[in-house]
Amino acid sequence: MSIFKEIESKPFEYVFLAVSLLISAILFFFFSYDPHYQRNVVYGAAGAYFLWSILHHYRRGDLETSIVVEYLILILFGVIVLTSTLL
Amino acid sequence: MNKIWHLFVPHTSNNHRAYLIRPSVIALFISIYLLNQSLVKSLTIIKPGVLGYSSEITVQKVIDLTNQERLKLGQEPLQYNSVLSDSAIEKAQDMFANDYWAHNSPQGKTPWDFLRQHGYEYSVAGENLAKDFYDTDSMVRAWMNSPTHRENILNPKYQEIGIGVVNGVLNGVKTTLVVQHFGSPLNGVVAYSSPPSASVDILSEASSAPVSAPLISPLQISQFVGLVMFVIIISALAIDGYFTLKNKTHRLAGSAAGHVGFLAIIFILLLANQQGRIF
Repeated sequence: MSIFKEIESKPFEYVFLAVSLLISAILFFFFSYDPHYQRNVVYGAAGAYFLWSILHHYRRGDLETSIVVEYLILILFGVIVLTSTLL
Repeated sequence: MNKIWHLFVPHTSNNHRAYLIRPSVIALFISIYLLNQSLVKSLTIIKPGVLGYSSEITVQKVIDLTNQERLKLGQEPLQYNSVLSDSAIEKAQDMFANDYWAHNSPQGKTPWDFLRQHGYEYSVAGENLAKDFYDTDSMVRAWMNSPTHRENILNPKYQEIGIGVVNGVLNGVKTTLVVQHFGSPLNGVVAYSSPPSASVDILSEASSAPVSAPLISPLQISQFVGLVMFVIIISALAIDGYFTLKNKTHRLAGSAAGHVGFLAIIFILLLANQQGRIF
């Protein structure tokens, strides 16, 4: 599968991303009793992914405005959908 | 058919980028989702009670599960007190009547005011609130996961309990509010009584007609629309990533693996997000 090839090319970056997202998921479940904390966890995960994307593309040498916009829109989509279901 | 294919697969005709994962299309998804949210919110205003949360919570089960949790830690079980139950029911009715969801009412009424109003003189007292839960087990589990609510349930100073389980319409959405009132009588005399068999009070909005079970909850609509969008985008990202690497296409774009990972985690959290809130 091609996505795995992409991961193989920079394993440490992807391991770092996977660990960050996994920690966020654990914290989200841990704070299941408080939507306010859960929202903060989602914002934290979104911020971590955005920072990861900047570092990832900077190291790859293709950090362009269009790529930053792509990440921002995708992150915005994820954050809006998930936080809107937290009553 | 060709058009659908190019929604997911990169090709010269779509400038080597699946249409569905372009930022402009993701922005369109965001707009559609927000529009859906606005329509759901409008529906709760225009036709209050059409959407809501059904519930099978009973007073007896709330008391049983609360006492089970206390017994696990060697605490004395709480005794049912009808005066505490009356104050809990009135608190729930007050929340429906004044459209709020909090320990203190917008008029500044505290939980202790409800207890005193019913003549319950206490040395210590506490309150737990819950709404939008379908079953008692998940509601008590949610209370036990919260440090402050857990403290109330397990507090050895409390001797009596009263439960209010009331159906009604809150902020345009049908739901069941559960109020747990804890206390210890000031005179030290603990009441021993059983909860009534008809354990759910029904409040209709300004009419005597009982509130019927709602068909669908606003949360279910949001979750469904969100999950469908996630499936479409994650599939498009995976298919696009596969063909891009297979054809060794060089293009300026974000990491497909990163995007899929991020969206997959959000997808799982969205899927697992529990119904019901506590306060």
